[in-house]
Amino acid sequence: MHIPDGFLSPQTWLPAWGVAAAAWTWAGRGLARRLDETLVPRLAMLTALAYALGLIMLPLPGGTSGHALGVAVLALVFGVRLAFLAYSGVLLLQALLFGAGGITALGVNALALGLVGALVTVGLYRLLARFGEALAVTVAAFVSLQVSALIVALVLGLQPTIARREDGTPLFFPLGLEITVPAVLLPHLLIGVGEAALTLFVWRLARRKGWVAT
Amino acid sequence: MNRARYCLLGYGLAVLAISFIHQPLWLALGLLTAVLAAGPARWSLLRRALLALLLFNASVSLAYALLAGWRGQPVWAPLLLINLRVLLLVFLGFWLVDRVRLLDALRGWPLLSMVTTLTLGQIAVYRCLLDDFRAAFRSRNPLPPRPVTVLRHAGAQGGALMEKALHGAEQAAQAMRSRGSFDG
Repeated sequence: MHIPDGFLSPQTWLPAWGVAAAAWTWAGRGLARRLDETLVPRLAMLTALAYALGLIMLPLPGGTSGHALGVAVLALVFGVRLAFLAYSGVLLLQALLFGAGGITALGVNALALGLVGALVTVGLYRLLARFGEALAVTVAAFVSLQVSALIVALVLGLQPTIARREDGTPLFFPLGLEITVPAVLLPHLLIGVGEAALTLFVWRLARRKGWVAT
Repeated sequence: MNRARYCLLGYGLAVLAISFIHQPLWLALGLLTAVLAAGPARWSLLRRALLALLLFNASVSLAYALLAGWRGQPVWAPLLLINLRVLLLVFLGFWLVDRVRLLDALRGWPLLSMVTTLTLGQIAVYRCLLDDFRAAFRSRNPLPPRPVTVLRHAGAQGGALMEKALHGAEQAAQAMRSRGSFDG
Protein backbone atom coordinates (compact mmCIF):
# COMPACT_ATOMS: atom_id res chain seq x y z
CA MET A 1 0.00 0.00 0.00
CA HIS A 2 2.99 2.26 -0.26
CA ILE A 3 2.66 5.80 -1.55
CA PRO A 4 4.27 6.46 -4.98
CA ASP A 5 6.84 9.16 -5.70
CA GLY A 6 5.62 12.70 -6.32
CA PHE A 7 2.33 12.41 -4.44
CA LEU A 8 3.57 13.97 -1.20
CA SER A 9 4.34 17.65 -0.61
CA PRO A 10 7.78 18.57 0.76
CA GLN A 11 5.96 19.85 3.87
CA THR A 12 5.09 16.18 4.43
CA TRP A 13 8.00 14.15 3.11
CA LEU A 14 10.89 16.23 4.47
CA PRO A 15 9.78 16.03 8.14
CA ALA A 16 8.88 12.37 7.61
CA TRP A 17 12.41 11.68 6.36
CA GLY A 18 13.75 13.41 9.49
CA VAL A 19 11.63 11.28 11.81
CA ALA A 20 12.44 8.14 9.81
CA ALA A 21 16.19 8.89 9.96
CA ALA A 22 15.97 9.17 13.75
CA ALA A 23 13.99 5.91 13.85
CA TRP A 24 16.52 4.15 11.60
CA THR A 25 19.33 5.29 13.90
CA TRP A 26 17.42 3.95 16.91
CA ALA A 27 16.65 0.68 15.15
CA GLY A 28 20.21 0.20 13.92
CA ARG A 29 21.89 0.83 17.26
CA GLY A 30 23.64 -2.28 18.52
CA LEU A 31 22.25 -4.30 15.66
CA ALA A 32 25.62 -5.33 14.22
CA ARG A 33 26.16 -7.44 17.35
CA ARG A 34 22.86 -9.30 16.81
CA LEU A 35 23.46 -10.10 13.17
CA ASP A 36 25.31 -13.33 12.68
CA GLU A 37 25.34 -16.16 10.20
CA THR A 38 22.28 -17.81 11.77
CA LEU A 39 20.04 -14.74 12.01
CA VAL A 40 21.02 -13.12 8.70
CA PRO A 41 19.78 -15.92 6.39
CA ARG A 42 16.40 -15.99 8.14
CA LEU A 43 16.16 -12.23 7.91
CA ALA A 44 17.13 -12.29 4.22
CA MET A 45 14.57 -15.00 3.48
CA LEU A 46 11.63 -13.26 5.14
CA THR A 47 12.72 -9.86 3.83
CA ALA A 48 12.69 -11.26 0.30
CA LEU A 49 9.23 -12.69 1.02
CA ALA A 50 8.03 -9.22 2.04
CA TYR A 51 9.61 -7.84 -1.13
CA ALA A 52 7.78 -10.39 -3.29
CA LEU A 53 4.45 -9.75 -1.54
CA GLY A 54 4.78 -6.03 -2.12
CA LEU A 55 5.10 -6.48 -5.85
CA ILE A 56 1.78 -8.34 -6.22
CA MET A 57 -0.30 -5.20 -6.03
CA LEU A 58 -3.59 -3.78 -7.16
CA PRO A 59 -3.72 -0.01 -7.80
CA LEU A 60 -6.43 1.73 -5.76
CA PRO A 61 -8.08 5.04 -6.70
CA GLY A 62 -7.08 6.33 -3.27
CA GLY A 63 -3.56 6.93 -4.57
CA THR A 64 -1.87 3.80 -3.36
CA SER A 65 -1.94 0.06 -4.01
CA GLY A 66 -3.48 -2.92 -2.30
CA HIS A 67 -1.15 -5.74 -1.33
CA ALA A 68 0.01 -7.83 1.61
CA LEU A 69 3.07 -6.50 3.46
CA GLY A 70 4.85 -9.25 5.35
CA VAL A 71 5.75 -6.74 8.08
CA ALA A 72 3.80 -8.68 10.69
CA VAL A 73 5.87 -11.81 10.01
CA LEU A 74 9.11 -9.86 10.25
CA ALA A 75 8.00 -8.20 13.49
CA LEU A 76 6.88 -11.44 15.14
CA VAL A 77 10.02 -13.33 14.19
CA PHE A 78 12.69 -10.63 14.58
CA GLY A 79 11.16 -7.89 16.74
CA VAL A 80 10.22 -4.30 15.92
CA ARG A 81 13.64 -2.78 15.25
CA LEU A 82 14.89 -5.39 12.84
CA ALA A 83 11.51 -5.61 11.09
CA PHE A 84 11.48 -1.84 10.60
CA LEU A 85 15.01 -1.79 9.16
CA ALA A 86 14.42 -4.80 6.92
CA TYR A 87 11.15 -3.43 5.57
CA SER A 88 12.78 -0.06 4.91
CA GLY A 89 15.30 -1.93 2.74
CA VAL A 90 12.41 -3.61 0.92
CA LEU A 91 10.80 -0.22 0.24
CA LEU A 92 14.08 1.21 -1.04
CA LEU A 93 14.60 -1.67 -3.46
CA GLN A 94 11.00 -1.62 -4.68
CA ALA A 95 11.26 2.13 -5.29
CA LEU A 96 14.56 2.02 -7.18
CA LEU A 97 14.12 -1.22 -9.11
CA PHE A 98 10.40 -1.11 -9.92
CA GLY A 99 9.24 2.47 -9.31
CA ALA A 100 6.84 1.08 -6.68
CA GLY A 101 6.77 3.61 -3.88
CA GLY A 102 9.47 6.21 -4.13
CA ILE A 103 12.36 8.06 -2.58
CA THR A 104 10.32 11.10 -1.55
CA ALA A 105 7.69 8.82 0.01
CA LEU A 106 10.22 6.48 1.62
CA GLY A 107 10.12 8.18 5.02
CA VAL A 108 6.32 8.10 5.28
CA ASN A 109 6.11 4.57 3.88
CA ALA A 110 8.80 3.25 6.21
CA LEU A 111 7.17 4.85 9.26
CA ALA A 112 3.57 3.91 8.41
CA LEU A 113 4.19 0.41 7.11
CA GLY A 114 7.48 -0.64 8.69
CA LEU A 115 7.54 1.00 12.11
CA VAL A 116 3.86 1.40 12.99
CA GLY A 117 3.01 -1.95 11.37
CA ALA A 118 5.66 -3.72 13.42
CA LEU A 119 4.79 -1.91 16.66
CA VAL A 120 1.07 -2.68 16.36
CA THR A 121 1.79 -6.31 15.50
CA VAL A 122 4.09 -6.95 18.45
CA GLY A 123 1.94 -4.90 20.86
CA LEU A 124 -1.27 -6.71 19.95
CA TYR A 125 0.42 -10.09 19.91
CA ARG A 126 1.68 -9.59 23.47
CA LEU A 127 -1.71 -8.33 24.58
CA LEU A 128 -3.64 -11.21 23.06
CA ALA A 129 -1.17 -14.10 23.49
CA ARG A 130 -2.99 -15.34 26.62
CA PHE A 131 -6.09 -16.06 24.49
CA GLY A 132 -4.13 -18.37 22.20
CA GLU A 133 -1.11 -17.72 20.03
CA ALA A 134 -2.82 -18.44 16.71
CA LEU A 135 -5.57 -15.95 17.53
CA ALA A 136 -3.03 -13.37 18.67
CA VAL A 137 -0.96 -13.72 15.49
CA THR A 138 -4.01 -13.54 13.22
CA VAL A 139 -5.56 -10.51 14.92
CA ALA A 140 -2.21 -8.71 15.23
CA ALA A 141 -1.43 -9.18 11.52
CA PHE A 142 -4.91 -8.12 10.42
CA VAL A 143 -5.13 -5.03 12.64
CA SER A 144 -1.56 -3.87 11.92
CA LEU A 145 -2.33 -3.84 8.20
CA GLN A 146 -5.48 -1.77 8.80
CA VAL A 147 -3.64 0.74 10.99
CA SER A 148 -0.89 1.16 8.38
CA ALA A 149 -3.52 1.55 5.65
CA LEU A 150 -5.36 4.17 7.70
CA ILE A 151 -2.17 6.22 8.20
CA VAL A 152 -1.36 6.05 4.48
CA ALA A 153 -4.93 7.13 3.64
CA LEU A 154 -4.79 10.03 6.10
CA VAL A 155 -1.40 11.28 4.86
CA LEU A 156 -2.55 11.14 1.24
CA GLY A 157 -5.95 12.66 1.93
CA LEU A 158 -4.42 15.62 3.74
CA GLN A 159 -2.23 16.61 0.76
CA PRO A 160 -4.83 18.82 -0.97
CA THR A 161 -5.17 20.74 2.31
CA ILE A 162 -1.44 20.99 2.99
CA ALA A 163 -0.24 22.04 -0.48
CA ARG A 164 -2.47 23.92 -2.92
CA ARG A 165 -2.47 27.04 -5.06
CA GLU A 166 -4.31 30.19 -4.06
CA ASP A 167 -7.26 29.15 -6.23
CA GLY A 168 -7.49 25.88 -4.29
CA THR A 169 -6.16 23.54 -6.98
CA PRO A 170 -3.90 20.83 -5.54
CA LEU A 171 -0.13 20.84 -6.10
CA PHE A 172 0.46 17.22 -5.14
CA PHE A 173 -1.90 14.31 -4.48
CA PRO A 174 -5.32 15.72 -5.46
CA LEU A 175 -7.92 13.62 -3.63
CA GLY A 176 -9.18 14.41 -0.13
CA LEU A 177 -9.87 12.27 2.92
CA GLU A 178 -13.46 11.57 1.83
CA ILE A 179 -11.99 9.56 -1.09
CA THR A 180 -8.73 8.17 0.29
CA VAL A 181 -10.00 6.69 3.54
CA PRO A 182 -12.68 4.41 2.04
CA ALA A 183 -10.69 3.74 -1.15
CA VAL A 184 -7.65 2.53 0.78
CA LEU A 185 -9.29 0.95 3.83
CA LEU A 186 -12.10 -1.09 2.25
CA PRO A 187 -9.89 -3.26 -0.03
CA HIS A 188 -7.43 -3.71 2.82
CA LEU A 189 -10.13 -5.33 4.95
CA LEU A 190 -10.05 -8.18 2.44
CA ILE A 191 -6.28 -8.08 1.95
CA GLY A 192 -5.91 -8.18 5.74
CA VAL A 193 -7.50 -11.64 5.81
CA GLY A 194 -4.84 -12.89 3.38
CA GLU A 195 -2.09 -11.12 5.32
CA ALA A 196 -3.30 -12.74 8.57
CA ALA A 197 -3.44 -16.23 7.01
CA LEU A 198 0.02 -15.85 5.48
CA THR A 199 1.46 -14.50 8.72
CA LEU A 200 0.05 -17.44 10.66
CA PHE A 201 1.48 -19.91 8.11
CA VAL A 202 4.98 -18.44 8.20
CA TRP A 203 4.89 -17.82 11.94
CA ARG A 204 4.04 -21.50 12.59
CA LEU A 205 6.94 -22.53 10.38
CA ALA A 206 9.26 -20.14 12.24
CA ARG A 207 7.92 -21.38 15.57
CA ARG A 208 8.65 -25.00 14.66
CA LYS A 209 12.19 -24.03 13.83
CA GLY A 210 12.66 -22.06 17.04
CA TRP A 211 13.23 -18.69 15.37
CA VAL A 212 10.55 -16.67 17.13
CA ALA A 213 11.88 -13.77 19.19
CA THR A 214 8.67 -12.26 20.63
CA MET B 1 33.55 9.88 -2.41
CA ASN B 2 33.13 7.54 -5.39
CA ARG B 3 31.21 8.25 -8.59
CA ALA B 4 28.19 6.28 -7.40
CA ARG B 5 27.93 8.45 -4.28
CA TYR B 6 28.14 11.62 -6.40
CA CYS B 7 25.31 10.29 -8.57
CA LEU B 8 23.28 9.46 -5.45
CA LEU B 9 23.87 12.96 -4.07
CA GLY B 10 22.94 14.56 -7.40
CA TYR B 11 19.80 12.45 -7.54
CA GLY B 12 18.84 13.48 -4.00
CA LEU B 13 19.28 17.17 -4.80
CA ALA B 14 17.29 16.82 -8.03
CA VAL B 15 14.44 15.10 -6.17
CA LEU B 16 14.42 17.90 -3.59
CA ALA B 17 14.37 20.61 -6.27
CA ILE B 18 11.58 18.90 -8.25
CA SER B 19 9.38 18.85 -5.15
CA PHE B 20 9.47 22.65 -5.05
CA ILE B 21 8.71 23.21 -8.75
CA HIS B 22 5.03 23.80 -9.44
CA GLN B 23 5.15 24.94 -13.08
CA PRO B 24 4.40 22.18 -15.61
CA LEU B 25 6.62 23.89 -18.20
CA TRP B 26 9.71 23.64 -15.97
CA LEU B 27 8.96 20.03 -15.12
CA ALA B 28 8.51 19.22 -18.82
CA LEU B 29 11.84 20.89 -19.57
CA GLY B 30 13.46 18.92 -16.75
CA LEU B 31 12.03 15.69 -18.13
CA LEU B 32 13.21 16.53 -21.65
CA THR B 33 16.71 17.32 -20.37
CA ALA B 34 16.85 14.08 -18.37
CA VAL B 35 15.64 12.01 -21.34
CA LEU B 36 18.20 13.61 -23.66
CA ALA B 37 21.00 13.17 -21.12
CA ALA B 38 20.16 9.53 -20.41
CA GLY B 39 21.92 8.31 -23.55
CA PRO B 40 21.03 5.19 -25.52
CA ALA B 41 18.98 3.72 -22.65
CA ARG B 42 16.60 6.70 -22.69
CA TRP B 43 13.65 5.03 -24.44
CA SER B 44 13.72 1.85 -22.40
CA LEU B 45 13.99 3.93 -19.21
CA LEU B 46 11.10 6.12 -20.30
CA ARG B 47 8.99 3.09 -21.21
CA ARG B 48 9.72 1.48 -17.83
CA ALA B 49 8.87 4.71 -16.01
CA LEU B 50 5.61 5.11 -17.93
CA LEU B 51 4.61 1.51 -17.26
CA ALA B 52 5.49 1.80 -13.55
CA LEU B 53 3.27 4.81 -12.99
CA LEU B 54 0.57 4.11 -15.55
CA LEU B 55 -1.80 2.12 -13.37
CA PHE B 56 -1.41 4.27 -10.26
CA ASN B 57 -1.63 7.60 -11.98
CA ALA B 58 -4.40 6.54 -14.33
CA SER B 59 -6.63 5.54 -11.42
CA VAL B 60 -5.86 8.69 -9.43
CA SER B 61 -6.16 10.97 -12.48
CA LEU B 62 -9.49 9.45 -13.48
CA ALA B 63 -10.88 9.75 -9.95
CA TYR B 64 -9.72 13.38 -9.73
CA ALA B 65 -11.02 14.26 -13.21
CA LEU B 66 -14.47 12.93 -12.31
CA LEU B 67 -14.52 14.68 -8.95
CA ALA B 68 -13.14 18.03 -10.16
CA GLY B 69 -15.40 17.98 -13.24
CA TRP B 70 -18.42 17.36 -11.03
CA ARG B 71 -17.41 20.20 -8.69
CA GLY B 72 -16.58 22.55 -11.58
CA GLN B 73 -12.89 22.83 -10.60
CA PRO B 74 -9.92 22.95 -13.01
CA VAL B 75 -9.08 19.44 -14.20
CA TRP B 76 -6.21 19.46 -16.69
CA ALA B 77 -3.68 21.86 -15.10
CA PRO B 78 -3.38 19.98 -11.76
CA LEU B 79 -3.30 16.61 -13.51
CA LEU B 80 -0.58 17.75 -15.91
CA LEU B 81 1.51 19.07 -13.02
CA ILE B 82 1.13 15.95 -10.88
CA ASN B 83 1.72 13.46 -13.69
CA LEU B 84 4.77 15.30 -15.05
CA ARG B 85 6.31 15.46 -11.59
CA VAL B 86 5.73 11.77 -10.93
CA LEU B 87 7.09 10.77 -14.35
CA LEU B 88 10.22 12.87 -13.89
CA LEU B 89 10.89 11.44 -10.41
CA VAL B 90 10.38 7.84 -11.51
CA PHE B 91 12.53 8.38 -14.61
CA LEU B 92 15.36 9.82 -12.50
CA GLY B 93 15.15 6.86 -10.12
CA PHE B 94 15.43 4.33 -12.95
CA TRP B 95 18.22 6.33 -14.57
CA LEU B 96 20.17 6.32 -11.30
CA VAL B 97 19.86 2.54 -10.93
CA ASP B 98 20.80 2.10 -14.59
CA ARG B 99 23.94 4.23 -14.25
CA VAL B 100 25.29 3.18 -10.86
CA ARG B 101 25.59 -0.03 -8.91
CA LEU B 102 23.29 0.35 -5.95
CA LEU B 103 25.77 -1.38 -3.65
CA ASP B 104 28.55 1.07 -4.64
CA ALA B 105 26.30 3.98 -3.77
CA LEU B 106 25.42 2.42 -0.42
CA ARG B 107 29.06 1.77 0.49
CA GLY B 108 29.73 3.53 3.79
CA TRP B 109 26.46 2.30 5.33
CA PRO B 110 27.50 -1.26 6.27
CA LEU B 111 24.18 -2.36 7.72
CA LEU B 112 22.17 -1.10 4.76
CA SER B 113 24.68 -2.64 2.35
CA MET B 114 24.43 -5.99 4.10
CA VAL B 115 20.62 -6.08 4.13
CA THR B 116 20.54 -4.94 0.49
CA THR B 117 23.11 -7.57 -0.58
CA LEU B 118 21.19 -10.37 1.08
CA THR B 119 17.81 -9.17 -0.15
CA LEU B 120 19.05 -8.85 -3.75
CA GLY B 121 20.54 -12.34 -3.50
CA GLN B 122 17.31 -13.72 -2.10
CA ILE B 123 15.26 -12.10 -4.83
CA ALA B 124 17.35 -13.95 -7.43
CA VAL B 125 16.98 -17.21 -5.49
CA TYR B 126 13.19 -16.77 -5.23
CA ARG B 127 12.89 -16.00 -8.92
CA CYS B 128 14.72 -19.22 -9.90
CA LEU B 129 12.78 -21.34 -7.40
CA LEU B 130 9.40 -19.98 -8.45
CA ASP B 131 10.16 -20.67 -12.11
CA ASP B 132 11.19 -24.24 -11.21
CA PHE B 133 8.06 -24.85 -9.14
CA ARG B 134 5.77 -23.39 -11.78
CA ALA B 135 7.28 -25.60 -14.48
CA ALA B 136 7.06 -28.69 -12.24
CA PHE B 137 3.42 -27.98 -11.36
CA ARG B 138 2.49 -27.54 -15.03
CA SER B 139 4.20 -30.78 -16.01
CA ARG B 140 2.23 -32.70 -13.35
CA ASN B 141 -1.12 -31.21 -14.40
CA PRO B 142 -1.82 -31.69 -18.10
CA LEU B 143 -5.41 -30.56 -17.45
CA PRO B 144 -6.19 -27.25 -15.69
CA PRO B 145 -6.00 -27.99 -11.92
CA ARG B 146 -8.96 -27.47 -9.61
CA PRO B 147 -8.76 -24.54 -7.16
CA VAL B 148 -8.35 -26.97 -4.23
CA THR B 149 -5.37 -28.57 -5.96
CA VAL B 150 -3.82 -25.17 -6.62
CA LEU B 151 -4.33 -24.17 -2.99
CA ARG B 152 -2.85 -27.42 -1.67
CA HIS B 153 0.09 -27.09 -4.02
CA ALA B 154 0.64 -23.46 -2.98
CA GLY B 155 0.70 -24.40 0.71
CA ALA B 156 3.09 -27.33 0.25
CA GLN B 157 5.37 -25.48 -2.13
CA GLY B 158 5.33 -22.36 0.05
CA GLY B 159 6.97 -24.32 2.84
CA ALA B 160 9.43 -26.00 0.48
CA LEU B 161 10.21 -22.68 -1.16
CA MET B 162 11.15 -21.15 2.16
CA GLU B 163 13.30 -24.15 3.09
CA LYS B 164 15.20 -23.85 -0.16
CA ALA B 165 15.44 -20.08 0.10
CA LEU B 166 16.77 -20.41 3.63
CA HIS B 167 19.36 -22.87 2.43
CA GLY B 168 20.45 -20.42 -0.26
CA ALA B 169 20.63 -17.57 2.25
CA GLU B 170 22.65 -19.71 4.66
CA GLN B 171 25.18 -20.35 1.93
CA ALA B 172 25.33 -16.62 1.19
CA ALA B 173 25.79 -15.86 4.90
CA GLN B 174 28.58 -18.46 5.19
CA ALA B 175 30.29 -16.87 2.19
CA MET B 176 29.99 -13.48 3.86
CA ARG B 177 31.31 -14.92 7.13
CA SER B 178 34.36 -16.33 5.34
CA ARG B 179 35.01 -12.85 3.91
CA GLY B 180 34.83 -11.22 7.34
CA SER B 181 31.44 -9.50 6.95
CA PHE B 182 30.41 -10.29 10.53
CA ASP B 183 33.75 -9.44 12.13
CA GLY B 184 34.12 -6.49 14.44
